[in-house]
Amino acid sequence: MKKITTLFLTILFIATVSGSSVYAQAQKNEVLIRNATILTASRGTLQNTDILIQNGKITKIGTNLKASANAIVFDGTGKFVTPGIIDAHSHTMLDAINEISSSVTSMTNVRDVLNPTDISIYRALAGGVTTANLLHGSANPIGGQNTVVRYKFGRPVEEFVFPGAPPGIKFALGENPKRIGSNPQPGQTPRYPITRMGTMEVIRDAFIRARDYKQSWDDFRAKKTRVQPRRNLELEPLVEILEGKRLVHAHGYRSDEHLNLLLIADEFGFKIQTLQHALEAYKIAPEIAKRGTAASVFADSWSYKLEAYDSIPYNAAILWKNGVNVSINSDSDERARRLNLDAAKIMKYGGVPEEEALKMITLNPAKQLGIDKQTGSVDIGKDADLVIWTAHPFSVYSRPEITMIEGTVYFDRGRDVLQRAEIAKEREALEKLDVNKAPGSGATQPRVPSERRIEERDEADLVNGGNH
Amino acid sequence: MKIRFILPALLAVGSLFSLSASAQSYSITNARIVTVSGATIENGTVVVRDGLIESVGANLKPPADAQVFNGSGLTVYPGFFDTLTSLGMQAQAAATGRGQGGGPAAQAQTPQNVSNSNYAGGLRPEESAIDELKAGEAQFETNRNAGFTTVVTVGRSGIFNGQSAVINLAGDSVSSMVVKTPFAEHVSFTTIRGTYPSSLLGTFSALRQMLLDAQRHQELQKLYAANPVGMKRPEDDKSLETLISVLNGQMPIVFNANREIEIIRALDLAKEFNLKAIIAGGQESWKVTERLKTQKVPVLLSLNFPKRTAAASAEADPESIDVLRLRAETPKTAAKLAQAGVKFAFQSGGLTTLNDFYANAGKSVENGLSKDAAVRAMTLSAAEILGVENRLGSIEKGKIANLTVVRGDILGKDKTVTHVFVDGKLFEQKEKPATPAGGRGAAGRGTTPDAATAVSAIAAVGGNYSVTIDIPGQPLSGTFAFTQQGAILSGTIQTQLGTSPIKDGKVTAEGFTFSSSVEFGGSTIEIIVKGTVSGNQISGTIDSPQGAIPFSGTKNP
Repeated sequence: MKKITTLFLTILFIATVSGSSVYAQAQKNEVLIRNATILTASRGTLQNTDILIQNGKITKIGTNLKASANAIVFDGTGKFVTPGIIDAHSHTMLDAINEISSSVTSMTNVRDVLNPTDISIYRALAGGVTTANLLHGSANPIGGQNTVVRYKFGRPVEEFVFPGAPPGIKFALGENPKRIGSNPQPGQTPRYPITRMGTMEVIRDAFIRARDYKQSWDDFRAKKTRVQPRRNLELEPLVEILEGKRLVHAHGYRSDEHLNLLLIADEFGFKIQTLQHALEAYKIAPEIAKRGTAASVFADSWSYKLEAYDSIPYNAAILWKNGVNVSINSDSDERARRLNLDAAKIMKYGGVPEEEALKMITLNPAKQLGIDKQTGSVDIGKDADLVIWTAHPFSVYSRPEITMIEGTVYFDRGRDVLQRAEIAKEREALEKLDVNKAPGSGATQPRVPSERRIEERDEADLVNGGNH
Repeated sequence: MKIRFILPALLAVGSLFSLSASAQSYSITNARIVTVSGATIENGTVVVRDGLIESVGANLKPPADAQVFNGSGLTVYPGFFDTLTSLGMQAQAAATGRGQGGGPAAQAQTPQNVSNSNYAGGLRPEESAIDELKAGEAQFETNRNAGFTTVVTVGRSGIFNGQSAVINLAGDSVSSMVVKTPFAEHVSFTTIRGTYPSSLLGTFSALRQMLLDAQRHQELQKLYAANPVGMKRPEDDKSLETLISVLNGQMPIVFNANREIEIIRALDLAKEFNLKAIIAGGQESWKVTERLKTQKVPVLLSLNFPKRTAAASAEADPESIDVLRLRAETPKTAAKLAQAGVKFAFQSGGLTTLNDFYANAGKSVENGLSKDAAVRAMTLSAAEILGVENRLGSIEKGKIANLTVVRGDILGKDKTVTHVFVDGKLFEQKEKPATPAGGRGAAGRGTTPDAATAVSAIAAVGGNYSVTIDIPGQPLSGTFAFTQQGAILSGTIQTQLGTSPIKDGKVTAEGFTFSSSVEFGGSTIEIIVKGTVSGNQISGTIDSPQGAIPFSGTKNP
């Protein structure tokens, strides 16, 4: 019955106006989710509860809430609502990931290469992800600047950028940065560093240069020098780190390297915001906790390369028990679609309570990225970044039905299923055009049977009431 | 004393000769005259004298000394513009080859760039098309015969392609060809192999740093001019010097951008530094009309429409719907720009068959663009964007006599370019096939007499070659299968991107050239391949709108 209601609503949307504009109106007006099980990620689980959303924000949480006549209403009976998932380590929607030509590429910024049409965004939405920390790759000891985005698929690129998210930057330790140096591309001269000690030296050297650079500006501002220093886009972000205005997300696997980095940060008086991957972080959990540094880890990925051999599935649990803010990230377009199951694994390994596990993909990454005032939990006053699930999100039988950002729906499974027929029709028409025909053949290529098409057939069965 | 008299006399003789050469006057009578700036004259006369349009009107009597053409059944248009080409440019060096790094192939054919610049090759905005432009009008024959009289030309390598020039396609010296130089600085969002920036990330930060450096350069120069005492003198950096005029809005900056997101990135950068931007390519510019209009950014719209050119391999997935949509939508772009009030002009976008230029302009008309707007986009709108509208782009008294005379409608199916005037100089066409005796046999189609006479001195290149194409970061391997018949080269090129036939293949004394179309990322890319042969080795460059890529190969035994 409930499914039919959603589908019926969906059909209405498509029949009247284009779906997206109806949903866009919803942001200005009201959305009511009725009678759902709410996993708040901050105050436990609320049974049979309503959520009222006005102007994109959660304004009421309670029972028997009233909405105006033109509000969009979702019947949440038997369903679960969670905060939108936040992926603290992603390279989705980037047209370039690594600037490998130099060991320090802090002048680069992934904001310049965002591609809002990447289909992986939509797939992540289908897995309940609403927000992601888009990072430069791990080729360089000091990589490029990050951008925190909301996955507003279909909207202009500037609307993806998370307003007010503090700027960050990627660092990288271990095998990746030194491997780039030892295996230069054809035509490229071998790059320093090629050892772990070189990596540490590169970072220390960069901050010494940044300190000097800051001094040159301080002198100029104090009128000690006449000529304004050259603006240096490489060193400016490093000065921001020294001033505590930019968050460092440091890729690394081995605990000795991460500890070394923490010591360099101590030396220069800044904080490492997150250790990324940190597969051995359990070995130095107290040292991490003491500095207020967080960790963003995998649930159960290990031994896929030499420096990942000492990883254990209990890593997240041990860190959590030591008071470290832990998040579970995907680092993958594909894994991003089921971070809910990765969080569920944390309950299995080490007995982390349900809400704490859920926090690892919601409130904890929100804190790591400095956006927890706006998102990360189901609380009054926060933006309505929410997911409606068909079952408990830690169940393998669960899947998102609705994913919304600031009260606007960006993924609706019912609508998606219906759209497939429209797209198939459009494709058929497009394939008949001359421009789309292979030359000389007089017709387009015959369709190649693929797994993807078989899945589509299964989905069609599902729409017709079949059980999967 | 005597010298004083002789010198002016010599000068006078010199100018007399040049006068007599160009003082030739022509009248085209009884023709349909599309003035573009005003109403079309259904039956009128254009008088050309001394390189300029002397008069135009319905009831004009041709001057007595003019050579008169009966234009009955002909239409006279302002000479057509191709607003982005690399015509006359010397073999383009790969971006990566300049200055540093580069493989052996790249190094072999790229001279070390000598410049007082602190920036790497590929980031040298000071490079100027006229310094590379080959003199001589014969090289432009194909383009002229197709009806083009004025083009923008610039190299295609590097992030900064350099400063372009507007040239007329006639004249025997570079200086006589130039209409305007520099016209604009041209930028490709590409990378430099083996050095910074080697990714799109770095491309943007490198551009940003250079623009900031240029801003500072200007400040330092001012400070130093005011009082050099106690101040280190600013470096004499030509790259920054050039960028100052871009920053001050004196020189437009043309961004090669086709995809919506590329155009947005260009517009963002232009906004950040308050640059006078122009978009070149513009396949998806119809998606960004609002911003183009707000920022007053014109488009040099490519008429190289994407189409499927190769059959997919048996294992391939069906093409993505985005690709199918792009091919369907591109011919509608011009009409949508016109409707939104975005200024645009057409460019060939690397088309190898120039007749497709008019065919695709015609497709734009079928998709809602008015005929007048289509003609304007190859004449006056182009002149306006290039800043030469007071001299070119319409048939008006006093303007430069660039005219294209056509039998039939230029946007229709049946048409022949019969005469082309460039700077008042007449280039008559062989009307095929009606008048086999007419003209001077220089139609520029098929095999040229040059190729036939050169048979004895040409290289031997037939055979199959295993080739590596040095795409930065992901070298592509493939096979060139060459069949040589005298000076004619045919065959195929085969890579992971598919198999494409060789077109317009020629063998010369040093090597070979040919063009081809490659399906890549959903669009059709026209490439021009130039190579040399040495024993069983070949090497050279592949020129595409995206830049020049070196290749090298070995003949299979």
